[in-house]
Amino acid sequence: MSQQEIMDSICQFIKRDQSSEEGFNDLALHLFAYQYKNNLSYQAYCLQKGRTPRTVKMWSQIPSVPINAFKEVTLSSNNPNEAERIFMTSGTTQGIQGKHYHPALQVYDQSMTVNFNKRFMKNSEKIRMGILFPTEEEMPNSSLAHYLALAVKEFGTEDSSYFISERGLEIESLITGLEQAQRTGEPYALLGASYSFVHMLDELEKIGGVFSLPKGSSILDTGGFKNNSRHLELDDFYDRLSARLGVARKDCINMYGMTELSTQFYDQGNAEIPSVKSGPHWIRTRVINPLTGQTVPKGEQGVLVHCDLANFNSVTTILTEDIGVEVESGFLLKGRAQGAEAKGCSLALEEFIRAKKGNSL
Amino acid sequence: MKEVGGYLPPCLEGVLEYKTHIFQRNQDTVEIQIPLLTRDQMDALTEIVKRNSRFILKSFTINEIVNIIDKSIAIFLDRSSKYRQKAEKLLPIITGYDEEIIRLGLTSYLKSFRKPQLQRFLVEDLGNPLLLDDFQPRPKGGFSKAMGPELVAHVWAGNVPALPIWSLISGLLIKAGNIGKVSSGEPLFAGLFAQVLVEIEPKLADCLAIVWWKGGDEERESCLLNKADVVVGYGSNTSLASLGTKIPLTTRFLPFGHKISFGIISRASLDSRKAWQTAHSAALDVVRYDQQGCYSPHCFYVQRGGSVSPREFARYMAHELECFEKRYPRRGLSLEEITANAAWRHKEELNIFSNSSKEVLGTTSNNWTVVYEEAGQEINPSCLNRAVKVIAVDQLEQVIDYIKPYRSLLQTVGIASTPKELFDISDLLGRAGVTRLTGLGSMTSPEAGWHHDGRFNLLDLINMVDIECSAEVYAEKFAPYVD
Repeated sequence: MSQQEIMDSICQFIKRDQSSEEGFNDLALHLFAYQYKNNLSYQAYCLQKGRTPRTVKMWSQIPSVPINAFKEVTLSSNNPNEAERIFMTSGTTQGIQGKHYHPALQVYDQSMTVNFNKRFMKNSEKIRMGILFPTEEEMPNSSLAHYLALAVKEFGTEDSSYFISERGLEIESLITGLEQAQRTGEPYALLGASYSFVHMLDELEKIGGVFSLPKGSSILDTGGFKNNSRHLELDDFYDRLSARLGVARKDCINMYGMTELSTQFYDQGNAEIPSVKSGPHWIRTRVINPLTGQTVPKGEQGVLVHCDLANFNSVTTILTEDIGVEVESGFLLKGRAQGAEAKGCSLALEEFIRAKKGNSL
Repeated sequence: MKEVGGYLPPCLEGVLEYKTHIFQRNQDTVEIQIPLLTRDQMDALTEIVKRNSRFILKSFTINEIVNIIDKSIAIFLDRSSKYRQKAEKLLPIITGYDEEIIRLGLTSYLKSFRKPQLQRFLVEDLGNPLLLDDFQPRPKGGFSKAMGPELVAHVWAGNVPALPIWSLISGLLIKAGNIGKVSSGEPLFAGLFAQVLVEIEPKLADCLAIVWWKGGDEERESCLLNKADVVVGYGSNTSLASLGTKIPLTTRFLPFGHKISFGIISRASLDSRKAWQTAHSAALDVVRYDQQGCYSPHCFYVQRGGSVSPREFARYMAHELECFEKRYPRRGLSLEEITANAAWRHKEELNIFSNSSKEVLGTTSNNWTVVYEEAGQEINPSCLNRAVKVIAVDQLEQVIDYIKPYRSLLQTVGIASTPKELFDISDLLGRAGVTRLTGLGSMTSPEAGWHHDGRFNLLDLINMVDIECSAEVYAEKFAPYVD
């Protein structure tokens, strides 16, 4: 199949209301064959694992690629120089950014809008939006900047605005925006990175700012926090959001997405923590033991693997570093499995990298 | 199973709060209850240990102390003793390591603290062990005595069983009071050892303590760190750096950071008869404590030109690791460790395309991984837990270039070579920062009297007190029998 045919069949698939196991499997295997053929790094990796289009019969058998691989190798079925857009991961300790090549944004955009409309807009009218993130022009390689720009373009009214500039959070214009929303009585949506919300809350608390956004208003945060006291922190976070903006916790939606995917997951609000995350019918998630690749028994913790059919050009199946648990209608996020410290006195990889970078030892 | 861990002097008063650590391995669970002292209790404890070290411990001769330690070690070497049995039973549950690995590891480790080894230990550092008992004449004139401090604080880390007693025994030998803080990963053995010491010599009861608190608990930490004369710390450089900031300038701080070790295999050891033995020894060093020790190998540099090539050697090692997996299975890993291992292995697998000479060997269960690299490579830490690289080199000296940038992180080299090669490369390795060379297969069992990270075990803990010649001569003038 050509790239255009692949893209068309995915767009067709996304337009359907739902998918059968069979339908999902068929398209996943098609994509696997396509990516295996056109991406030689991936082919070599699959061969090493002993998995080829001949032996893989189920979407769950497609070799998953760890997210770190986006930093190490070029994962693109199309010539990467012809990509319409490259989304990059934010910097890491090693200073190398993962790259996700999109030959065309058609599939990404459709995946985003169909899903966003259903899960955040709940199929309602356009809404006035405030964005707590830089614009797409400022951050052309940020998938989140593109995501939010798309949200504004497709679902935001014309008086939607951005509240992050190169100077950082524009708290004064944000307050003006919130006051105006309060006055008009029309629903308002505030979307952005979780840490920008924290920053906003800190500022509002400093000046004692409390708002009561009109009925139908909602909040979307994404990105989470890098902290171990996740549970407590999240509870506190949504309490503060709710208290400062007058939006019930059930209307505070958290989006879970990653640069390496083309589809996002949402919850149904955060009245209770941890919230259940789920995705649309063109993405499926397994909770696995990453060493064996086996699915762990339902209810046990494991690492999340996503098979995203909208990832037509890179690889469909991504091994994350997110720990999760499968539940009835989706999965619960339990934090990140990252940087295991050595149990003994042997040097751990992360420490070595620090030593190498700092050269201070 | 329940077990009270740690050790406190009987004369410490007050009600104790206990913190329970729960460990699980397969179907077995053990709860270790360990006292968590209040600030006041910590203060009282440091006073008790200091006072008793001054009046009791320092009244023992070094020979008496050696005998006490020897007797205690004998109890732990005796498989019918209840303490040994307890250690053999509980340590696998606590640390997750295989029973046999622990049994063999304990014996080989504890053997280095028997009387003859301790004597060697003392002579190694001091020349004349009697320096610890009394002023000894010096060849240049005058006299000197080795004085141990009143209180040595040990901050231990990690879960390699029994490792803490190294510094504890060093502290005892110099007649210091000792307070050790165990890690949550292995809070048992140090306390057991203290109990046995006191059983052998009840007078030591108030001279030492084994405690626990959560790492970074500043209140308790500062109590101990402010009152100790010497602090011996183990852990990552980050945690040591933070520990260092809490120690008063005048207190001696001996930090032992995490280290990286590796193997060097000369073509001389790779003929068809000896190569399998070489691979067996190398694999053994990997399997013992699943590479968690600072002396455990992260990779092996293997010389080309033997009748077994480095690539074949990698396969030999894979075979050995698979055999060991049957006999001594790897310990159960946490989800974080599993993820780290999977990520390491995936990364190597992904690079096969750009580096087609690379080979990644392993089973689908991924209980071990051997990666073969054709082109020489800088040393890079493995994700541990039985994952190693075999890196081909033409000449042994090439290794020096690959390790040079990391001099402060290097420790042990396990080596299989001819005697001439050994001495030739040792000098180069030493200059590059390596502090210990050992036979392949012995990497995880340092000899008694070794210089840990190139330092002295006892000398770093003591102060020498000199009576200069002039004082002696001057004093003669005032002797009542002066003519």
